[in-house]
Amino acid sequence: MSVAIKADNLRKIYSGNPPVVALKSASLEINDNEFFTLLGPSGCGKTTLLRLIAGFESITAGELCLYGNNISNLPPEIRPVNTVFQHYSLFPHMTILDNVAFGLRRLGTDKNKANSVAQEMLDLVHLGEYGARKPDQLSGGQQQRVALARALTPQPKVLLLDEPLSALDLKLRQAMRSELKRLQRETGITFVFVTHDQEEALSMSDRIAVMSAGEIQQIATPDEIYERPANRFVADFIGDANFYDAVAGKHKDELVEYIIDDITSLKGQRVESIKENDKVTLAIRPEKVSFVKAGDKDTLAGTVSDIMYLGNTTDYLVILQNNETIKVRAENHHNGEAIANVGEPVSLAINPAALRILKK
Amino acid sequence: MSNSKILQADIKISKSKDIRSLPGFSWFTLSFFIYLYLPLMILVFFSFNSSSSATVWEGFSIDWYFKAFANDDIQRATKNSLIIAVVSTFFATIFATMAALALSRNRKIKHKPMFMGLIILPLMVPEIVTAVATLTFFSTIGLSLGIGNIIIAHTVFCIPFAYMPIRARLQSMDKNLEVAAQDLYANKWETLRLITLPILVPGIFSGAMLAFIISIDDFIITLMVAEAGSNTLPIYIYGLVRKGITPEINAISTILLIISIMFVTLSYWIGKKR
Ligand SMILES: Nc1ncnc2c1ncn2[C@@H]1O[C@H](COP(=O)(O)OP(=O)(O)OP(=O)(O)O)[C@@H](O)[C@H]1O
Ligand SMILES: [Mg+2]
Repeated sequence: MSVAIKADNLRKIYSGNPPVVALKSASLEINDNEFFTLLGPSGCGKTTLLRLIAGFESITAGELCLYGNNISNLPPEIRPVNTVFQHYSLFPHMTILDNVAFGLRRLGTDKNKANSVAQEMLDLVHLGEYGARKPDQLSGGQQQRVALARALTPQPKVLLLDEPLSALDLKLRQAMRSELKRLQRETGITFVFVTHDQEEALSMSDRIAVMSAGEIQQIATPDEIYERPANRFVADFIGDANFYDAVAGKHKDELVEYIIDDITSLKGQRVESIKENDKVTLAIRPEKVSFVKAGDKDTLAGTVSDIMYLGNTTDYLVILQNNETIKVRAENHHNGEAIANVGEPVSLAINPAALRILKK
Repeated sequence: MSNSKILQADIKISKSKDIRSLPGFSWFTLSFFIYLYLPLMILVFFSFNSSSSATVWEGFSIDWYFKAFANDDIQRATKNSLIIAVVSTFFATIFATMAALALSRNRKIKHKPMFMGLIILPLMVPEIVTAVATLTFFSTIGLSLGIGNIIIAHTVFCIPFAYMPIRARLQSMDKNLEVAAQDLYANKWETLRLITLPILVPGIFSGAMLAFIISIDDFIITLMVAEAGSNTLPIYIYGLVRKGITPEINAISTILLIISIMFVTLSYWIGKKR
């Protein structure tokens, strides 16, 4: 597997008064033919990183390589990289076909050839009949696919997509997800996809880089990000989690007792880098907590304080004996009845393997 | 019950605040428009008078138009007006387009608001001041090109008029379009030629029409700068009026009026498109 994009301590400061540090120091490797996602909250620097790769912004420090060639100082019109813009930015005065053929024409392909490739690409995104229209005669979803076709037609080595689905409604967005995955497989082009929607990221990506405040927090596959978040930010940003401060106790075989307070402790797996008496944060996904019969070994006792019905699942807020709250997510019975009612005493169990231990 | 009463009272209050419901508002509006347009209507009306009086109606005729068209002096003045307007519109629009592009797209230019102010400032300087200044300037440097002097003067004062719609168009244009073009392998020149300028065309057109009409209509500056033999239509009309108003003047004025309305409407309409 070869590396498509290699970023080495990329740094971006927007000059101004005061200057804005949009990217502190980002290092990452994106593999050839990979669906790579940049995920993070608004303002964390995703677009900035993408614009650096495209060449729309100059790099303040660091190095950027494309298939081993240093492209840090190349202007955008020379980089074999294309972008799908958030608001599509189709050329309003050109027909759809001219829009899609634009890149090839500028690369010097003759008109007939460029048009026929553009037509093929339009067919690929199911818009073969729309070539003669102008962009403002298409719906949002259709414009989105034209933007995709336009960026794919010159067959770039890497395709950059900046929240391309954010302007679409939910149903269309879901349909476009599989459409995008299909296009990526069929064209074999490396996709770098920006989103702040975790569901989008988890469902489409080969790997995800989670970003926060100009820094990359973790790069891993979707299930790794979800099951083994590297820090509290990642655990909190992706999915739901309960967090507790604790101290590592003595270990017995591979299990360690993590002490939250005098009356509460949880068993979890031993982590190589954490020693006895180290301070840690425990993260527990709500769906990894289960209701058990009272009196079982290693259970937490508590009282249900609130219930939120979510369709296929229900969230129960349980107040533990130490007055901490824990959120428990359980699948609903066939008849839709609640497992426990507000005010009811319950016992909870947590599988030691499901307890994430994060260094403080 | 009481709630709905309060609501109704609210609605009444808000209605009475609406200026359109003030008593006499429609009469006021009507008299305002009469005040604005009645003189023009009278002027147009008497251009069709069959007698030579511009104030006493005697019957319908279009003779005055034929007379006006046949008049050598009018023909010469019209020709001058058109040459001056076309040439100065052409140059003013080019300068205005370049200024607008530079001020909104060139990152290296500093103090942009100041330059923008400098371009628009002539709109706020009293025209008589510009006129005197232009005249003094021309006589100081000894420039005497006849109609050329007028063209130079017109080009200069038409620039801000041409500049404004072009700038408005550039401001409302999605900057990502140019970025997208570069992303798709267009160099700076191709981006300008294939993306920016075509999208800018309505703004440029609109600006050119404004400039044209401003040039055709100008009186004060032209009067100062014009030398013998390079009369424009407004100056010729002014000369006629001093000898006494005839329906011939009404006829020429009506034609000027129609041209003005046409161009302003066209400029507005094209500027509004997309
Ligand atoms: N041209 C610019 N000049 C100055 N600061 C900028 C500029 N562009 C972005 N920033 C700042 O840099 C930071 C990162 O911005 P960026 O657009 O990369 O965020 P993002 O992760 O894409 O956010 P979003 O999800 O809202 O699009 C923000 O604090 C933003 O205000
Ligand atoms: Mg962004």
